[in-house]
Amino acid sequence: MNLHLTHEQLCDVLLADSSLPSVGVDHNTDVVDQHLQACLICSAELKSLRDSLSLFRDASVSYSRQEFAHSYARRSSIVPPQSMLSQPLYWAAAAVVFVAALFPINLHRQQMAARSAATAAATASQTTESDEALLSDIDQKVSADVPSPMEPLANPTDGTTSLTSTSDQRTN
Amino acid sequence: MPSQALSSDTLSIARQTNVAPQASATALDDMDTIVATYEQRIFRFHLVSIRDRDVAQTLTQDTFVRAWSARNNFRGDCSISTWLMRIALNLVRDHTRTDRFKFWKKVSDTAVDVSDISSHVPHRDSSLESRLIASEQMTLVWQSVSELSERQRSIFLLRFMEELELSEIASITGLPISTVKTHLYRALATVRARHNASLKDSL
Repeated sequence: MNLHLTHEQLCDVLLADSSLPSVGVDHNTDVVDQHLQACLICSAELKSLRDSLSLFRDASVSYSRQEFAHSYARRSSIVPPQSMLSQPLYWAAAAVVFVAALFPINLHRQQMAARSAATAAATASQTTESDEALLSDIDQKVSADVPSPMEPLANPTDGTTSLTSTSDQRTN
Repeated sequence: MPSQALSSDTLSIARQTNVAPQASATALDDMDTIVATYEQRIFRFHLVSIRDRDVAQTLTQDTFVRAWSARNNFRGDCSISTWLMRIALNLVRDHTRTDRFKFWKKVSDTAVDVSDISSHVPHRDSSLESRLIASEQMTLVWQSVSELSERQRSIFLLRFMEELELSEIASITGLPISTVKTHLYRALATVRARHNASLKDSL
């Protein structure tokens, strides 16, 4: 006979903790109970295993409950509940956001209009100046004594070049 | 209520995919109530099995989508919780058998660490020493569970976390009760071995 409980006997005691007859616990439970009462080693190991399994279950349940609540909170933050849509505060915030989005667009349009007006004014002033210069040039040409096509040509044989060529011819 | 958010998200998709639902009323037609009742439990099983928050959330939604899609196949020969847990178990099995799971398990930011769990160990005693011992005991079981095979882990969690009876576990897994017991013996052997090794180290 073994001095201590076998692994199967110990497991059967653990499995029978919250169970029913159909679990299949050995019929010699009285023998096992008597041994547990007499053997401090087996009873201590059984108690330690029971405690560990109980702690594991409690901690897992508690942790999963917390994580479940967190996952629900994350989902809730993504999708607003239906009742939110009927609240005046929600609509007021939406209107503020809409106006805030329209303001930069309006400002941009005003700046564009001012820029185009300035550009048009500058172009007009440049056109006026060029017209005046053209007219004054025409006046000068019309008021001249001799028209420019009839002015005498410049002498092409003027200067040192002509003297040199003459002297060369005489030498030859 | 948390389940209502999931039900609206999940079931809207499920109802869109289901083109012609049958007119006959079954126990699963009131899906909102079923989600409200079982969502947290299914999420817990996925979270401790996979140990990743995001994956657990996704698999929980998949569980109810599958349940809605296959509700006409539910014959009522088992309870709704057993049926849902069977779907959840199959999803965990499918997920853990892929290579993607092995990769993302290493790099995922949402993976559950043992330190996250240890802060939830109940402190029945106020002394610091007893708190440390309790945290160490829980850590031993948590690490032992990670060493178990996929089937042993599922059966272990169904018994010692969900506190289901062996006959119910047999119904969920489709295994005989004797096989379920064998898996539990082996799982407890792993837990016990680590437990005894820790005791020897401390002495």
